[in-house]
Amino acid sequence: MVSMMERLRLTHPFHFVIGLTLWCIWFVAVYGGHAVACEAAAPASEQGVFTLLSGGLLLVSVLTIALLAALALWCCQAAKQHQGRRRFNAAISAGLYLFSALGVVFVALPIIGVPPCL
Amino acid sequence: MSTDSTNTVNQAAAKQDPQQLHDDLHEIWGNPKGLKALTIVNHTTLGLRFMVTGMVFFLIGGILAMLVRTQLAMPDQDFMSPDIYNQVTTMHGTVMMFLFAIPMLEGLAIYMIPKMIGARDLVCPRLTSLGYWCYLFGGIILTSSLILEMAPSSGWFMYTPLSSSEFSPDLGSDFWLLGITFVEISALSAGVEIVVSILRTRTQGMALHKMPLFAWYILAMALMIVVGFPPLILGSILLELERAVGMPFFEVAGGGDPILWQHLFWLFGHPEVYIIFLPAAGIISTLIPVFAGRPIVGYGWVVFAIIVTGFISFGLWVHHMFTVGIPQLAQAFFSAASMLVAVPTAIQVFVWLATLWLGKPKMKLPMLWVMGFLIIFVCGGLTGVMLALVPFNWQVHDTHFVVAHMHYVLVGGMFFPLIAGLYYWLPLFSGRMPSENLGRWGFWLTFLGFNGTFLIMHWTGLLGMPRRIYTYDTGMGWDIYNLLSSVSSFVMSAGIAMVLLDIALHFRFGKPAKQNPWNADTLEWANSMPPSAYNFVSLPKVETRHPLWDDPNLPYTMAEGKHSLAVASHGRREMWGTDPITGKVREIIHLPGNSWWPLFAALALAVVCISLLVRVYALAGIFVLIAGVFLLRWSWENGTHPKAAPEAAVTPGDPPLHSRTMDGPGVWAMAIFLIANGSFFLSYLFGWFYLWTVSPEWRMPDISPLSLSLLVAAGLAVSAGCGVMEKLIRGLRHKSDVGLGAGLYLVGGLGAVQVVFTGWALYGANLSPTETSHDAVMLFGLIYALFHGGLAVILTVLQGLRVGYGYVGAYAPFEPVVVAQLWRYNVVTFWVLVGALAVLPRVIGS
Repeated sequence: MVSMMERLRLTHPFHFVIGLTLWCIWFVAVYGGHAVACEAAAPASEQGVFTLLSGGLLLVSVLTIALLAALALWCCQAAKQHQGRRRFNAAISAGLYLFSALGVVFVALPIIGVPPCL
Repeated sequence: MSTDSTNTVNQAAAKQDPQQLHDDLHEIWGNPKGLKALTIVNHTTLGLRFMVTGMVFFLIGGILAMLVRTQLAMPDQDFMSPDIYNQVTTMHGTVMMFLFAIPMLEGLAIYMIPKMIGARDLVCPRLTSLGYWCYLFGGIILTSSLILEMAPSSGWFMYTPLSSSEFSPDLGSDFWLLGITFVEISALSAGVEIVVSILRTRTQGMALHKMPLFAWYILAMALMIVVGFPPLILGSILLELERAVGMPFFEVAGGGDPILWQHLFWLFGHPEVYIIFLPAAGIISTLIPVFAGRPIVGYGWVVFAIIVTGFISFGLWVHHMFTVGIPQLAQAFFSAASMLVAVPTAIQVFVWLATLWLGKPKMKLPMLWVMGFLIIFVCGGLTGVMLALVPFNWQVHDTHFVVAHMHYVLVGGMFFPLIAGLYYWLPLFSGRMPSENLGRWGFWLTFLGFNGTFLIMHWTGLLGMPRRIYTYDTGMGWDIYNLLSSVSSFVMSAGIAMVLLDIALHFRFGKPAKQNPWNADTLEWANSMPPSAYNFVSLPKVETRHPLWDDPNLPYTMAEGKHSLAVASHGRREMWGTDPITGKVREIIHLPGNSWWPLFAALALAVVCISLLVRVYALAGIFVLIAGVFLLRWSWENGTHPKAAPEAAVTPGDPPLHSRTMDGPGVWAMAIFLIANGSFFLSYLFGWFYLWTVSPEWRMPDISPLSLSLLVAAGLAVSAGCGVMEKLIRGLRHKSDVGLGAGLYLVGGLGAVQVVFTGWALYGANLSPTETSHDAVMLFGLIYALFHGGLAVILTVLQGLRVGYGYVGAYAPFEPVVVAQLWRYNVVTFWVLVGALAVLPRVIGS
């Protein structure tokens, strides 16, 4: 339990992998969810991008971006409070969370421009 | 920052005679000669064996490439028949990717990592040995198909249905599937132990943020192997099962889907590109600061880029499948992700350029290859971004443009850095310097020949020449380009031959190298040249990224035994076990000595492989059991066993032996192995849900054939077993082993109950695995559960026996902790399996 709490600290290198793992989970969820939805209940193509499916994918993406951005911010604050190894860890983690958040933004952009099941 | 190495000088050790210490350590670590050389487990020897074997396969792959270019040099050639041409191209790609690139880089990592992080060996030396033999035997089996004219001919990615028995009825595909799976045991073995070694055996004080960048790159590579290889292993097993016994995983009529193979292959295949690139980039990040004479600019940025690359590269696999007919939005996701991966690569390129800009680069021979890498790899990266764009990708799909791009990335991104690294570390390997003249000739011929071959191939591709065609009509407009490519490829071959000649000659004629000849900063140059079997007489405290720049005397004080662990009187092979984050010393890791078991186990597995190939399944079954016995016997010689570390005495002030703690490297190795296993399991679940969702002929029965009550009973048994195991572990943590032996037998019994109930459920399901893919996938999942249940029972009962022998107890609590992890894994995967196979079909229906 103690070691688990230790790992949750923002200066622990465990955070090197959390942001991009969240990115991967988001990516698989959006790609897989999209594929299953198109197979099971594809919206009519004349609806364009204004479909429940696109809305759902966007919502998941926005929530993921918010979570990643918040973690980036917290890591950034943690980096400022420490020196040496802990500062290094928190700064790298902050960068990785930020990159993951931007990665979600960039990869999710087509959702607002491309009809989901064409 | 200055090193603390001088502060760690052990005054007591300093009084020892260095030569006597050397002799004593050599007595313990030294390699045997003659037939017993087959038992060697030392990382230096095995790393060299990996690299030499890799070079032999490289030469075979290179000759195949020359045959391809000869055939394509002019139109309407009949130098090779279409079938032989297909075999040659398939084997060229297969040999280069699976038998050269990955094992070669693994060999370099196996050789270099312990020396760089101040350790004496890798953490699981017998696993290194098993990995090497599996690689060698798997490679021999695979390449023997060429001599037998039975080589695979479906392309190096073996797409179904071309590779299925309907269109490839001969043994070629089987050679590929079985041989590659065998070789992948080697890759996974190396992956697991390299991860654990980097995390747990760095020398005292080497915190994670002070680790050499090469170790960061190799850590990422090894973790990517651990996660990335299992999807292909699963795909290969499924395809072989389809070919051998007719389970229709990829056959549409039986409810399978050939696209599932593409997904499984590229789930491995795209990360594979980065698995090859990252260590090569690690070489570049090591060499550039040395030859620029300054620390790398932006160490943290490089670490950031490595981690990003490691993850994002798993999100690109569908960009190899843009033309198979997936929705545009899904293509857009993968197109964007493919562009995203250029960001960390660009960061590294700018870091390298900035380091060169701010330093005073010396254009020594290794640097020529670094510059060649920068030019070629940047070009290859840019065409990669072009290929990430869906419309362009459609236009050039399956043309020579893609072949050219791939070679720019792989040869530029792997081969050039590899040669740079080999030249750089050559004095360490041999104690001699290479020839600058011959080396420069080799470089320029290779560089010019490479660009003459593959730059032109971009144009051939843009003119529409498809890949893998064995000849073409004159008048297509491709004649002159192909001729130029072929001539250039022979120029490149001449360059490579010159490099190999230089390396061969330098062992005899090279000038003797002085200590640390390039004025490098990392610890491997504190070794003698060539290195001794134990690497270092004493292990220093290192709290800087540049130990040899900050303390140039370090190699000498280390050799004089003035640092830690300069003890040989106990007769054990020892090194530090340190905290993965801070580098603080936690325990002394004692390593096993030379052993026949890895060779015997690999030989038994080779017989299994050949038996499956010739379809003598009874023999294969017998040798699976024999291999299992060898591996279990190997595991028996651990911990407090008389052949391992029966005495626990250590020098006063030193930490305990790892086998007397709860957190030795075996715990970590099991955890990393279970990550690989988890990747395999998730790939399986992906296959199940993919076929269920997408396969046009998928046939889900109206009523699930699996008995839910039997499976729930089995799940309760494995959960109860895990619960009892956890209770025993808690007792051991409190130094109590009361009832340990009986408890372990009880756990084993509960595991046996799980196996019986699962087997019963399988028997009662009356599946028809050759009729429908539904039943085939279900059977595979249940066999997976049975195998893991059975394995847990065997390992737990063996632990019970070891308690009886006195090898395990409160004084040596380590091993049950290792086995407990398997129980936790089994509980989670079993319930997920029950949910996926038995509950969800009942809830959702067919």
